[in-house]
Amino acid sequence: MQMGEVRFSLLYVADAAVTLPEFAEADFQSKPANGARILNGKVPESLMANEEVVDHGRRRFLTVTTAVVGGAGVIAAVVPFIKSWEPSARAKAAGAPVTVDISAIEAGQKVTFAWRSLPVFVVNRTKDQLAQLKGLEPRLLDPLSSDAAQQPKYATNETRSIKPEWLVVIGLCTHLGCVPDFVPDIKPEPFDANWKGGFYCPCHKSRYDLSGRVFSGVPAPKNLPVPPYHFIDDTHIQIGVDPQEAG
Amino acid sequence: MIKRYLSSLALALGLAAATVPAFAAEGGEDLPSAGANVADKASLQRGAKLFFNYCVGCHSLKYVRYSRLATDLDLSEDEVMNNLNFTGAKFGEPVISHMPADSAKAWFGKDPPDLSLEARAKGTDFIYNYLLSFYLDPSRPVGWNNTVFPNASMPNPLWELQGLQVAVHGAAKPGEEAAVEKLEIAQPGRMSPEEFKGAARDLATFLEYTAEPAALQRQSIGVWVILFLVALTFLLYLLKHEYWKDVHESH
Amino acid sequence: MANVFSRIGDWVNERAPNLAPTYRKHMTEYYAPKNFNLWYYFGSLALLVLVNQIVTGIFLTMNYKTSAAEAFNSVEYIMRDVEWGWLIRYMHSTGASLFFVVVFLHMFRGIMYGSFKKPRELVWILGMLIFLVLMAEAFMGYVLPWGNMSFWGAKVIISLFGTIPFIGDSLVQWIMGDFLPADATLNRFFALHVIALPLVLLLLVVLHLAALHEVGSNNPDGVDVKHGPKGNRWDANKPKDAIPFHPYYTVKNLFGTGFFITVAAFIIFFAPTFGGWFLEHDNFTPANNLVTPSHIKPSWYFTPFYAILRMIPSYFGTAIWGVLGMFGAILLLALLPWIDKGEVRSVRFRGLGFRIALGVLVVSFLALGLVGAGVTAEVIPAWFPGVDVTTWENAFGRLMVLGYFGFFVFVWIYTRFGFEKTKPVPERVTMHD
Repeated sequence: MQMGEVRFSLLYVADAAVTLPEFAEADFQSKPANGARILNGKVPESLMANEEVVDHGRRRFLTVTTAVVGGAGVIAAVVPFIKSWEPSARAKAAGAPVTVDISAIEAGQKVTFAWRSLPVFVVNRTKDQLAQLKGLEPRLLDPLSSDAAQQPKYATNETRSIKPEWLVVIGLCTHLGCVPDFVPDIKPEPFDANWKGGFYCPCHKSRYDLSGRVFSGVPAPKNLPVPPYHFIDDTHIQIGVDPQEAG
Repeated sequence: MIKRYLSSLALALGLAAATVPAFAAEGGEDLPSAGANVADKASLQRGAKLFFNYCVGCHSLKYVRYSRLATDLDLSEDEVMNNLNFTGAKFGEPVISHMPADSAKAWFGKDPPDLSLEARAKGTDFIYNYLLSFYLDPSRPVGWNNTVFPNASMPNPLWELQGLQVAVHGAAKPGEEAAVEKLEIAQPGRMSPEEFKGAARDLATFLEYTAEPAALQRQSIGVWVILFLVALTFLLYLLKHEYWKDVHESH
Repeated sequence: MANVFSRIGDWVNERAPNLAPTYRKHMTEYYAPKNFNLWYYFGSLALLVLVNQIVTGIFLTMNYKTSAAEAFNSVEYIMRDVEWGWLIRYMHSTGASLFFVVVFLHMFRGIMYGSFKKPRELVWILGMLIFLVLMAEAFMGYVLPWGNMSFWGAKVIISLFGTIPFIGDSLVQWIMGDFLPADATLNRFFALHVIALPLVLLLLVVLHLAALHEVGSNNPDGVDVKHGPKGNRWDANKPKDAIPFHPYYTVKNLFGTGFFITVAAFIIFFAPTFGGWFLEHDNFTPANNLVTPSHIKPSWYFTPFYAILRMIPSYFGTAIWGVLGMFGAILLLALLPWIDKGEVRSVRFRGLGFRIALGVLVVSFLALGLVGAGVTAEVIPAWFPGVDVTTWENAFGRLMVLGYFGFFVFVWIYTRFGFEKTKPVPERVTMHD
């Protein structure tokens, strides 16, 4: 009779272990003696019956199945909450392509426009400034703009632009996202005795040339990104749309 | 034992049932149903066309973006921008009427309300019946009155379609004005009465959509959610039943 | 992996040796009577709804704007522009109403089976405090969308404090921070709704559960399983008629949860306004301090208490009696352990008088709800054409007020002076299946 009692306990432990190890260990390893005393060495018929009734395979199968199905449900319910952090319809509408008039930007001047709340620098570079780009290659990290993520194909050239004089870049330093200063003059600067004009980030002293190409030896790892843009006519560009998309 | 369980259940159901007359009574004014079906894309498109031809002159839909209309009504960007957008707004911008607020006040005595949420505030059926119930009333400042919304300050924008309605008054009780008994078409419009009811239904449907654009998604998603939950609940029932064999055996 | 977990467990145990026993006491080794019926689902469901309200509430605050100028627009922004915002908002608004559904049923269960009686008075008192905080929480949440019902609801409810003698008017202004509900009111209600009251609510819920686990759950028979025979198949020292909460009531409550969520999902996806009961028509119009909605009434879950307020007339030039009546209705519930002096807990073995009184309480409460919601004002002229609606409504409403308060008076007399003829209470619980 005692054997029956013990066997039942073990069976139960094996089963409960699936769902709740603490319960099984805490109760049954320490208490069979108590149980035996209370039961006066007699196993009630109902307990004997249990042994046959409990279908452990079925129980485990149901537990696992409901856990999997319920888990899938919880994951599905979490998705809307994660998705709610995506840019909203308003943010997307505000991030729509913007058309800007560049006719008033004089040679050598930079104007900043907002696109998707980002500062977009549009620089009208002089012939002189463009000429300086040539000799800089050895001092640059990525002079050939080999990182395709930093500019569209049509801006993968020395001037990193569609029209040589017009530079369009997103004015956020690729180091930690500060807005670099536009320092166009070709003259020695405190941060660079051999300065040929470009962008200088006040936060951590990263430097870029007038094509937005990053110098080597500064914290910033990449060239300034060029957004998609195209010329509507000679005096208007649309930022946010590639030339081929605009037809 | 079963009896007791059932009586408990009956009590719970009884409590739930006690609230039913309350819900039934909430309907309020018994207007004829518009029969609007917000899932009917063709009706929504017709309603949108009517709205942008006859309503947007005065009423905005400031919570509705043109881009959202395109997605939800199965229209292309060009269709929306060429056929619905007459104000020069951008695709992503909301529908704002071009009527200056000052002149609106001067003409109608009040600003024409934004209609984005009209169907939720007043009901789709209200809009439908309101549109059908304009009649000529020389005593009103704008020359129009409405049986569903008496003394509305709005003229019938759709009179070209519906024609001109006049009121047939019943016998006046002493000291009171005669009540409007029914409305009759005095001069037919471009649409037959049946066609016009369809147009009013389309407009009401469109405004039901603008009041809750999510209605289009929630019902189609809801079906799957409910099916999943019913299956899960069934599984949970089986699980509960399986575990509770222990309890039922040991008493 | 298991080794890592057990070492972390040991590390924690060494530093907080009482943590694990506490966890076991309340979670894994909590024994409950085995004869719970469907009335016992609502406690766990209330907890589920609380979690839902907190999670969806947190996500709503991410896009909600707390200002009188922007609040209404920001709610529509959530409904339209935020991806899945509509679902999150409907989960919150439906959850609010379902919270009251389950809490009302949970409270009714407590009255029906005498769960408030000794030794569970503390559990009951803490539960009533939860109910009070929940009402404040719901009221302030209702104001946040700043629709026209929000505005006028706030105006009317805050005006209740104006009936307090001497300080009333200045108190009302102090609560609003303005001369009408305004930006300042909205901001402070937001702070209370999203931070202060939820913290209090959580604390009270923890205490409610701790107090419950100290004395153990009651059951539909009202039999003390602790005093019955000992020893069951799981533990030789636990009551014979109790079973481990886990896994048995865990799986049972999960099943109840599945059923409940299915119902909730049906409302959320197919009837989110619930015919104007969960989200009112007039609240889709922005707040307007010049126009009161024609059918002004509180949310459905306040209507019984609101009806008590409306049905009690003013005497001696003050309207405070209605306010006292309304709060008294809640206070009397809290005092039930001392009003009902009957020895027998469960309605199953109580005298006929108590059973009838309980029925009267339920009917009065529901009827007052209909009065408060303005249903009677619509139904009376439809069913009895030509009668004076106000007279009839007042007569009916006051009868129901009498029914509600009558319950407490009757039960006190009935039990205090030994009129109750109870049936014999069995030694052991009975199972029904």
